[in-house]
Amino acid sequence: MAEKRHVITRRDFLRTGSCVAVGSMIGLPLLEKTAFAATGTSRVVLTRHDGVLDGGGNVRPDILGAMLDAAVAALIQVSDAAAAWRTLVKPGDTVGIKTNFWGSLPTPPALDDAVKQRVLAAGVNPQNIAVDDRGIRSNPVFEKATALINMRPMRTHHWSGLGTLLKNYIMFVPSPWAYHGNACESLGSIWNRPEIKGKTRLNMLVMLTPQFHGIGPHHFSKTYVWTYGGLIVSVDPVAADATGARIIQAKRNLFFGEERPISPPPRHIEAADATYGVGNSRPERIELVKLGWDRDLLI
Amino acid sequence: MTADTSHADPLRQLTGALPRQVKGWVVEGEDRFFDDKTIFDYIDGSGEVYRAYNLRECLSRVYSKEGGQFIVLDVFDMGTPADAFGVFTHDTDGEAVAIGQDGRWRPGWLNFWKDRYFVSITVQEENPQAFEAALELGRQVGVRILQEGARPKLLERLPQRGLQAGTIRFLHHPIVLNYHFYLSDENILELSPATDAVLATYHRAAGSARLLLVQYPHADAARRAAENIRRHYLPDADADGITRLENERWASARLKDKLLVVVLEAASRESTAELMRETN
Repeated sequence: MAEKRHVITRRDFLRTGSCVAVGSMIGLPLLEKTAFAATGTSRVVLTRHDGVLDGGGNVRPDILGAMLDAAVAALIQVSDAAAAWRTLVKPGDTVGIKTNFWGSLPTPPALDDAVKQRVLAAGVNPQNIAVDDRGIRSNPVFEKATALINMRPMRTHHWSGLGTLLKNYIMFVPSPWAYHGNACESLGSIWNRPEIKGKTRLNMLVMLTPQFHGIGPHHFSKTYVWTYGGLIVSVDPVAADATGARIIQAKRNLFFGEERPISPPPRHIEAADATYGVGNSRPERIELVKLGWDRDLLI
Repeated sequence: MTADTSHADPLRQLTGALPRQVKGWVVEGEDRFFDDKTIFDYIDGSGEVYRAYNLRECLSRVYSKEGGQFIVLDVFDMGTPADAFGVFTHDTDGEAVAIGQDGRWRPGWLNFWKDRYFVSITVQEENPQAFEAALELGRQVGVRILQEGARPKLLERLPQRGLQAGTIRFLHHPIVLNYHFYLSDENILELSPATDAVLATYHRAAGSARLLLVQYPHADAARRAAENIRRHYLPDADADGITRLENERWASARLKDKLLVVVLEAASRESTAELMRETN
């Protein structure tokens, strides 16, 4: 053990007032209670469509593309999605699209394609665009990226409580397991690394078939996913994750017929706000715009 | 990816005796085997849990039924009954079923341990047929593991009064301890594959508490761990070694030969002293 540096213990969290987060499993209400450093509000767009999946559960790319365009236009507050994309990325950018390949619930390839097409349409050179997940640390486009687009499905996660947009950047670090302590509370620190900070232009939390509970070694069963048909889009990953987390929590309570906190509690969302200043986690700091299908919205 | 291991190893022998079909589900594809390095190719994220319990090898077998339903059987050879029990205690929710040792079912997942094996059976989609097939598969796997395993000796040191059996976690690795009870960002207890630890919750009239026992192989390691926890976690302990925490709960640590006894988050000073006194 290193003797020179200060060892952070549970008691440090108790002293600084985060003891509720450390000492209990109360879950999402945390996000509504905690003080945080960031100022201003964050716009989050939740768009849903009841026909985005066909009868076999396959993504319908045309509808997904329309949802994406509507969400991005509403986020940037312009009437034209193409104009919105031109605001987000410039022809001179090198764009790394960070997706998620997790086998049981990956980012839909149709979304990877749709985003890539829109980045191309905004004038970015095709050679300066890459879609990747586990290979990003050796991907030349990601190595020289000037812009990042971050997208992944929302799911519960063994170590962090939730697999979030914040967590999706863990592949940027050489030792991901080093962030597993205290339910991955320090994930927000990754976003302040010099090679990442300030580069993310857009975050998309895929809520087409979110996973609200995990079991077993693989942490997956179709019993615990449902068709929500949604996309959550924001420039602020913390606000998008906090919004998605509220939906997951609501679904868990509904499914189990009782308050069933996400376990372990997704402390990293709150910490990304309060400790690392990455964005806003509190609902009163989030301007939530809802588009489309509103049945069983859960938020 | 498939691990290259001997055909004479116990898991391969067990694999050869496993059923090829159960209640209409039949084996699909080849069996796959993973070791402590290749396990991450198979299990994303929680693969570290199995490594933390000294995983030797894992068998993955898929059973399928017409219509595309799947049941996944994973048999983890943990090398010892203690580690099979330990990895089982990582997640003990569910309804008890009489399969293997300590069998548990929750919707979509059957798991148990027996001898040196931890067995997991996951159904892709929950329905009555899949449930029955998973239970039958579990039974058949359970009976083909011929011996029962002994629980870790360290559990015998836990006081019995108020012990919540479902909260017992047996572990070696700080990442597992921090999952169940975050203690510190560094391994101040010097946990390692050579140390056995058990964490459990107590409910008593005097209130609840957690008890952590760590058994060290050598006295010097035990001494260092005791010094570490006193210095970093309990620097303000009183003459009896008891501290009142910032959340109004109580904690204490004491070394008894090579056994470190730590009472955590106790409801009262009395319950702290009581648990400490009763742990021998």
